Amino acid sequence: MQSNWLIEIMKRAQSGPYIKEKDFELALIKRIRKLVKEYGIKYDANTLVPSDDDMADRVFQAGLDLFVEFGAYCQSTERQILFSRDEVLDMLAMAPSAVTLGTGKDAVVMRHRGVEDTTPATVHSGPTGTPASEKYHPKILLSCAQEPLVDCLGAGSVATYLGENIIPGTPLELLGARRDASVAREVVRMAGRPGMHINDVAVPLTCAGKMAACDPDAGLRPSDGILVSQMVELKTDFDQLSRVAHLYNIGGITVDLMTPLLGGLGGRAEGTAVVSVADHILGVVLYDADYHMFSLTHLNYVNNTDPLGIWTQAMVGQALSRNTPIILLNDIYTLSGPGTTELLYECAAGAMVGTVCGFNMQGAGTTGGFERDHTTGLEARFIAEVSRASLGLSRAEASELIPQIMKGYIHTLSNPNRGRPFPEVYDAETIQPTAEWLNMYYTVKEDLSKLGLKFQYAPRPISS
Amino acid sequence: MTIPEFVAKPLYECFIEGDADLADTLTREALQAGYDPLEIINTIMISALTEVGRLFQSGEFFLPELLMAGEAASVASKHLEAAIAASGQASQKLGTVVLGTVEGDVHEIGKNIVATMLRAHGFEVIDLGRNVSPSAFVDAARERNANVIGLSSLMTTTRPAAQHTIQLFDELGLRDQYSLIVGGGSVTADWAAELNVGYSSDAAGAVELCKRLVGINPS
Repeated sequence: MQSNWLIEIMKRAQSGPYIKEKDFELALIKRIRKLVKEYGIKYDANTLVPSDDDMADRVFQAGLDLFVEFGAYCQSTERQILFSRDEVLDMLAMAPSAVTLGTGKDAVVMRHRGVEDTTPATVHSGPTGTPASEKYHPKILLSCAQEPLVDCLGAGSVATYLGENIIPGTPLELLGARRDASVAREVVRMAGRPGMHINDVAVPLTCAGKMAACDPDAGLRPSDGILVSQMVELKTDFDQLSRVAHLYNIGGITVDLMTPLLGGLGGRAEGTAVVSVADHILGVVLYDADYHMFSLTHLNYVNNTDPLGIWTQAMVGQALSRNTPIILLNDIYTLSGPGTTELLYECAAGAMVGTVCGFNMQGAGTTGGFERDHTTGLEARFIAEVSRASLGLSRAEASELIPQIMKGYIHTLSNPNRGRPFPEVYDAETIQPTAEWLNMYYTVKEDLSKLGLKFQYAPRPISS
Repeated sequence: MTIPEFVAKPLYECFIEGDADLADTLTREALQAGYDPLEIINTIMISALTEVGRLFQSGEFFLPELLMAGEAASVASKHLEAAIAASGQASQKLGTVVLGTVEGDVHEIGKNIVATMLRAHGFEVIDLGRNVSPSAFVDAARERNANVIGLSSLMTTTRPAAQHTIQLFDELGLRDQYSLIVGGGSVTADWAAELNVGYSSDAAGAVELCKRLVGINPS
């Protein structure tokens, strides 16, 4: 991709077909429904991780058709930014399949992963999607960054600056963004991993805020990532495209963030899978993304570990893994919170389906983002451990195992156990999990071992 | 004239199916046959859309079904309202609700769901869209003589904007003239209670809340 491609995108954003956003949405809904029928895409509650390569390819083709027909909706101009099929296919072919994240000995190479790949997934963690308080934010970050199996850190979101609410587009947003980036930078130093990749600070909602987070000494560096978001579904605006321009200017890592809604414009799992593929293609064509963060969210539950969510992740991962070289990152979003076994089972289901279906790992966004400070490094450790233990599993094996793992939380979907905040499940001085939280960890790990999962690392220590 | 089953059933079903083209045809045919537009609204359209809302709330329907049912109702309503106006009957609008996602917040799926459900139940909805400034809420409330002002906020960082909007209504001495309600991912019942505004955690609850606020006993 050439950086002057952005000029072409800007031209098309100003000259593409004019359409009101609601009409775009209705047209999208109708087309997705037709594509699901045309391509014979079918959800099967008894096979949450399908091994059907042909269906995976059909999901990809449907998503490709959708993107070629609809392009991206530019909210700034109320116009569609359209691309030819050849342009799209060329850009997909040129997309990066590996990217170096971080610097020095802490750098990792995150790669495109295949279906049933035995290449370990790169693991991102941090309070991404779960708001943190100023008081506990650094400690929560440290609990994640110090985990040996965690490769990259998401700096998360703090809603206040010195006690004052941060309002987007104001000076407080810029101060808050720089503060959060500085805290993350200091935390990776404290964890003895100063070159660890930081995948953005989540507090800023504007390009100015993102730019304020960048500082080679005390904030984000070019080896770190900045999120360029899509609005559901297939929507962008000039603020997001400006982030792409900023990332070109500094040579930074572009992270394509999408949050497809299961039950949203895509409808059921099949349509959501189709539009999610199209979302990823948008990230390639418009954002020139280095990697793609797939943050699937159920409209009602606000998670992605329910059966429909697991199936959708399985199909989206396989479709893109088999048909593109792009680097996928699965953002595991749970209903449960720390200090509960339910959270660990949710993380296990998300880690297993993602690992087997071509994703790298991100997580966990806990409690559907509803409870402040309800996030810790221990669930990130669990995601990493389950992901490693899932390497080499076939899709059929994962499809057998996941329903059994789901028994650990499926009954709580409508009444989730939000658990407890960080200071109640970690020692806030030593940044170590409490014996009770750790005991839950080993109990669930032992349960998964009994199901046949072979963990690479030690089971419960004798002393615990 | 009571609407017979052979007319009512297909019309009811086209709203449930969200078939706007069929809703257009069947509504025109029903009006041409002389059936009362108010009866079509009350006995067929509202009942169908209430069922769509129930199916959405229970998870059997998702957003596409809700939006398409809303589109079908919108198409039919144009014919029905024109017929009501031509006959000199009074419109049966339950009230006017101004809705918007607060300043700084671009998330509007939740707000759109509430708008569709409110329209389905007979409210006039003035949808201001996303990233709406406090003064735009005030202006719309005044211009449209609204009954209810609904603020949506998904992000924790945009909750203060909801607070500022409520404050502006207070400062301008308008708080008693309108019922203010809040909703969205960042909003809790406790926070709403602190600000002394109405709250609902979901779209169906928002409809019931608005009905109460305009003096109608909820179903």
